[in-house]
Parts: sequence; C-alpha cells; structure tokens
Amino acid sequence: MYQILLVIRFLTTRIMPIIAVLAVALCVTLVIVVVSVMTGFLDMLRDSGKRLVGDVIVHMPVVGFPYYRELIADIEALDEAEAATPVIENYGLLQMPYGPGGAGTTEQVQVWAIEPESLAKVLDYHRLIYWKAPTESEAAVLAQDDPRLDPGYDRWPAAMAMQRGGSEKPGAILGIEISPFNHRERDGSYRTHDHSRSAQDRAHWMPQYEVRLTVVPNSSTGAADKEVRAQLDIVNEFQTGVFQIDSHRIFIPLGFGQELFGMDEAPRYSLNEVGPDGSPKRIGSVPSRVTTILVKGAPGVSPEDLRNAVKAAFLRFESLKADDPEAARMPRGVEILTWEERMRDLIGPVEKERGLMQILFSLVYIVCAGLVLAIFWSIVHEKTRDIGVLRSVGASRSGILAIFLAYGLSVGVVGSVVGFGLASLIIHYINEIHTAIGQPAPLLLWASVFVLCGGAVIGAILSILRDSALFTLLWSVIAIILAGVAVLLMLHKGVLIWDPSVYYFSRIPNHVDMTNALSTMGFAVLFSVIGAAVPAARAADTDPVRSLRYE
Amino acid sequence: MSSSTPILVANRLSKTYHMGRVTVPVLREASIEVERGEWVAVVGLSGSGKSTLLHLLGGLDRPDRQPGRTAPNQRGGTIHFESTCVTDLGAAGLNRYRAHSVGFVFQFYHLLPELTVLENAMLPAMTGRTPLAWLNADASRAKAKRLLDRFGLGHRLKHRPNELSGGERQRTAIARALVNGPKVLLADEPTGNLDAKTGGEILEVIRELHGEGLTILMVTHDSSIASMADRVVRIADGRIVAE
Repeated sequence: MYQILLVIRFLTTRIMPIIAVLAVALCVTLVIVVVSVMTGFLDMLRDSGKRLVGDVIVHMPVVGFPYYRELIADIEALDEAEAATPVIENYGLLQMPYGPGGAGTTEQVQVWAIEPESLAKVLDYHRLIYWKAPTESEAAVLAQDDPRLDPGYDRWPAAMAMQRGGSEKPGAILGIEISPFNHRERDGSYRTHDHSRSAQDRAHWMPQYEVRLTVVPNSSTGAADKEVRAQLDIVNEFQTGVFQIDSHRIFIPLGFGQELFGMDEAPRYSLNEVGPDGSPKRIGSVPSRVTTILVKGAPGVSPEDLRNAVKAAFLRFESLKADDPEAARMPRGVEILTWEERMRDLIGPVEKERGLMQILFSLVYIVCAGLVLAIFWSIVHEKTRDIGVLRSVGASRSGILAIFLAYGLSVGVVGSVVGFGLASLIIHYINEIHTAIGQPAPLLLWASVFVLCGGAVIGAILSILRDSALFTLLWSVIAIILAGVAVLLMLHKGVLIWDPSVYYFSRIPNHVDMTNALSTMGFAVLFSVIGAAVPAARAADTDPVRSLRYE
Repeated sequence: MSSSTPILVANRLSKTYHMGRVTVPVLREASIEVERGEWVAVVGLSGSGKSTLLHLLGGLDRPDRQPGRTAPNQRGGTIHFESTCVTDLGAAGLNRYRAHSVGFVFQFYHLLPELTVLENAMLPAMTGRTPLAWLNADASRAKAKRLLDRFGLGHRLKHRPNELSGGERQRTAIARALVNGPKVLLADEPTGNLDAKTGGEILEVIRELHGEGLTILMVTHDSSIASMADRVVRIADGRIVAE
C-alpha cells in the first residue's frame, strides 16, 4: 500500500513525472489523430465505394450475359435482396464540346449504360446527380453564390429521363471532374468558369452542350466490331466523391448503350437453311445483354450473405437455361462479388497506406518507452537515498520494484488518458482548426503574442538585474520563442493543408477510431511500463547502505 | 535500566568493501554485546567502522561471506537478536527484522520529502503488510499520531519535511523508527546535524525512551554525548578497542 501512496505523491509533487506524462500524452495524441483521420478517410472511401456499386455485383465484362431481366426477377425474389439493376460497363472515347479550333478534346471514359429508375432503387442516384435543386436543409448550408440555388441550374428531370426536354438525342451524364471548367471550392461545391475567372460562368456549364461518344461494339463471343459514333446531349453531371470515377465515367441510357455496344436484341439466323428470299433463315433472336447487375441487400443482410444467395440463384438460373435447348448460351466466368471485393483496387492501396502509417507511427511507442526510461533513470538516480530509507524501514526489493513499475504504469495510464482526451478534442474540432489555419491570423492574436514577448523581455532584464542566470536564460528563450511565433502569425496568410480539390472529400474525417484509440492507449501503457522496468530493476538492486551514504 | 540478558550479540564481525581493485577492510572481527534496555554509545574517529557496525547490526548489510565456512571467525561473524541469528536470515526475514525488531535514526533524518510528517512516521508500518493487516491501518495511524504528539509534532502532521526545523525533522525520524515498536533503536549520530540546543532536545527524547526500557545503540563522535550512555564502546581501525 505504501507503493500506491508513494506513486501518487511522486506523480503529484514532482515535475519529472509530469514531463513523462506529457511525453506519453503527446505520443498517444499523435498516433490517435493520424490513424483516426486515416481510418475516417478510408471509411469515407468505403462509403463512396459502396454507394457506387451497391452491395453485390454480378459481372461479366465485355460480352455480358443475356436474360438479365429474368435473372434480376430471380434475385429480387430472394429474401436477402431488396433491388437489382442492369448496367453495361464498357469504355469509349468522348469528344468534348471545347478544344482547340472547336474540334473538341477527346477523353477516354468508362461508359455506364444505366436505367435511372431501377438504379435509384439500388444506389442513391439522387445524391449522385449534381445539378439539381437543393432541399431546404441543403440550401441552408450552401454558399450564397452556389449556382445550385439558382433554379435555372436544376437538371434533375433530365437526369431521370436521360434526355433533354424536346430533344431527340439520348442524354449523357458526365462525371463532374471530366470538364476542366468545373472548379471545386473549399466547401466541396463547384463553380463553372474559365481559368481566368473565379465567379460562376454559365458559358462553361456542361449541361447545355453535346458530346460525341465513340465506342467499339462487341459480339456475344467478344469479337470487336467497327467503331460506332453517337452524338449525345449532356443532361447533367454526377459526383461520387472518388476522383478516379468522377473524372472518367459517364452515364448513358441502357437501351441506347445496348444498341451502341451491340448488346441489344438481335435476330438469329440458321447457318444451314435459307429463307424464301434466299437469305439465311431467321430461327429466333439473340436476347439483349448487360455486363453487370448491381444488387442491393435487404436491411440487416451482410454483403457476404447476399453474395452467397445471389451465387446460388445464379447457378440455379444458369442450370435452367442450360437445360433449355431454345435458350442462348450463358457465358462462362460470370463473377459475383461483394462491393468490397469489386472495389479492392481502390480501397486496397488506402488500407495499405493506413497499415503503413500505423507501423511507422508505432515507432512512437519506442520513443515513448525511451523517454520514460530516460526520465525514470533520472528519477531513480535522484531517489537513491530514499530507496535506502525505504529499505531501512523494511521495504523489500520487490516492494521497491513495484513502486517504480506502478509509477511507470501510472505515467502510462495518465498519459494515455490525457492523450486520448487531447486527441478527441483535436479530432472533434479538426475542421475548425483547419479553417483557422487556412485564414490569416487575427491582428489581436499576433499583437497579444508580441505583448507577451515584451513581458518576457522585461522578465529577462529583471533577471539580469537580480543576477539569476537560470531565469535570465529561461525568460530569454521564452521571449525568442514568442517573438518567433508572433512574427510567424503576423506573416501567416493561411495554409491549406487538406485541400478538397486534392482529396475529394470536403471535410476532414472527425471521428475517433475507438479500436485504434484503445489499442494505442494499451500500447502506450505497455511501453511506459517497459521503459520503467529497467530503472525499476536498478532501484530494486540498489544497495541500501550505499544509498544512505549517497549525497 | 539494563537487565543482564543480551538482546543483541555480534560475534567477530568482519566487513570489507571493494572499491574497484582496492579492498578496504572496515570491520575486523568486532564483537559486541548489548544488554536489554541498555544504552550503548559507539565512539570512534571518522572511518573507523562505527556506522558499518550499526548497519550490520540493523540488518541493512551483511558481514563478509566465506562460502563453506561455518565458524564465526571464518565466515565474517554472526549477529544474534534475542534467539534469532540475524546473519542466517533470508531477504524476507531481514526485511521483517528491519521493519519490526530495530528502528533506525540517521544523522540527516532521511525523511521522504513527498510525504507528510504523519505519512513519514507511518512508513515502517506500511511496508511488508499483508492485505489483511491493512484492516488494522487505523491502529498504525493512531500510534504514529501518538508518537508525534508525544514529540511535540501534533500540529505538524500534514506538513512536509521541508517545512520543519532540523529538530522537528529528527523527532519525526525518531517517531518513524518507533512506530512498529522495535526493541532496539539504532541511532547514527542523531545530533550530528543539529545545533547544541536542538541536539540537547533530541538527546532528552532518547534519554526518555531509554528510561522506558528501550535498548539504544548510538553512534557518536562527541564524547560528551557518549557520556550520557550506560556504556561507551570505542572502535578504531575496525576493531573494538575499549569498553
């Protein structure tokens, strides 16, 4: 029990353990803040990824698969599934309505042929579409100059119809990062203007122009045909929040996409028989195809369970079609993946980055242990005589060891709790802090720091007059630091660290990753005890006679 | 005040310190017997081995060891406290011996600066306690308070050592030494760091304790202080040269 009393007194009456606690706290804060932001970033990416493909994807690239309507009906009949939608996923070249000499620059794009009505049941289609009238609550947080507040920019009906009112041409919805005239602001919203301007400029707003799409159709066997071109109206733009998608994907109507890629229903002719007109005899039709079905799971169903159910349904469906001599052949190699498996190439690198960060920042624990070791070594040295006193009144070696191990444990626990509190505070207000850093320092702030600096200079002068070398040095160092801070604040014009136009998330993730925080705290405590162990053993081994003679 | 039964017997104690390559024999076959209730003053020049003798008798240090040899003159000597051979005690036994059988008072008080006067006085009562014995913590606290009250420190219980005078610190140290009710008080120059008046007050406390039957072994280099004891033992060059 005397160990507990001494640990409490050592912790509360001396400056050295406070320094150790601060060291541990700062290490814990650093790791929790960095990993929480990384985890938040990953979660946002996962959320975006999930929003893009639903829970499960049935996918057969290029050639696609037929009878998708029947398959969707079978999938939607599953208890595990809520809705499914067909998509064609392929590639094409997009000639933009701008470029040198009016020829238009050409972009390589991923083309998604979609059905907005059924897609809206699987994905949050409304959320993806950018040019639409905001709701009242959305409008309340938009900047006053946000063009979406102007009803003239509302193109939601066209996004649903995938056609401009009064136009015969099919519509295309472009990823919002395809046009170089869409400029992302700090709040995550967009303004359309030329690079020479900064205000909204309707002339560079895409949903009033046309684009030309060039694709290469494929037969049901995968053979490439001659390229096909089509003129489309830009009816809207979409934003997923993932740059690779927003800068390379367009939506077109499913029926039009099937025609364009040669995946629509086509007549089937006999290879042996001829018709009355001498041409090959028509013996039926090849059903239309899609490359992808996106499936949304029923509430509470995990993507893995849904994937297994869809796989089983697909196998049943495939077997039925194989038994039907009239049916077209189902292709081999249809993939059925969860959204996470499908987005692996997008999420995987970020997960690895987070893992790498965790490993790199784990070095902080070693620093933490080293700091505690150095501080405790010094404390044991300083307490040598007291150790002798404790031994003289009957304390055992293990008792002395326990004092310093408990001391290290307490430093670790208190440091971890303080670090967690500090990290929680920083993470909670990280966007506000970032905003403050991004703006010039207020006059009052840097002027106040100059005043404090003046106070420190006076303190240094008084210390010189009192002939105190220590306080002269301390006040001088404080004055120099304050002067440096004041000058930096005065010159500070705002630094943008988290640039939404780079990271494509308008806010820095501000949730503490509790699993990571608890493990960080646990490791900090462990390494604090490890750091204290060597000095503690040294204290236990201290010869009481020598300790009592120690001055 | 002393009876004729020895409470503490040291037989041919030898202690050698090794400082690098240099071997320093501090005690050379020193023998001493202390009767129950006796006040013995150990005098001698600085470096003569007085404090070392006290440390050995108090179980803070062990005599020289010579493995395989059993006779006292061959294995660095023996110490007996009542019927217990202190030199044969293990680490745990020595801890108990220091906590309960003897009490130390040092020249420089050696109070723990982080603890209050009361906590310092209670320290021996807190070491080596079993969880069950902690139920009796109030009794230890009460005893420490009684001792501090007796030594005129009742109003200083919550003060830290740096808030006390030298005399008050040494009285706190004496209370600490006595809190577990030891039978022997080992005092190493208890007045060596005090002015004459304060030193006199401390000696008065020791005299009172002796009057109550406490056995006292006190190291001093002051012959006037030594003269207050029942018996004076002179040590020179590690040997007891006169009694």
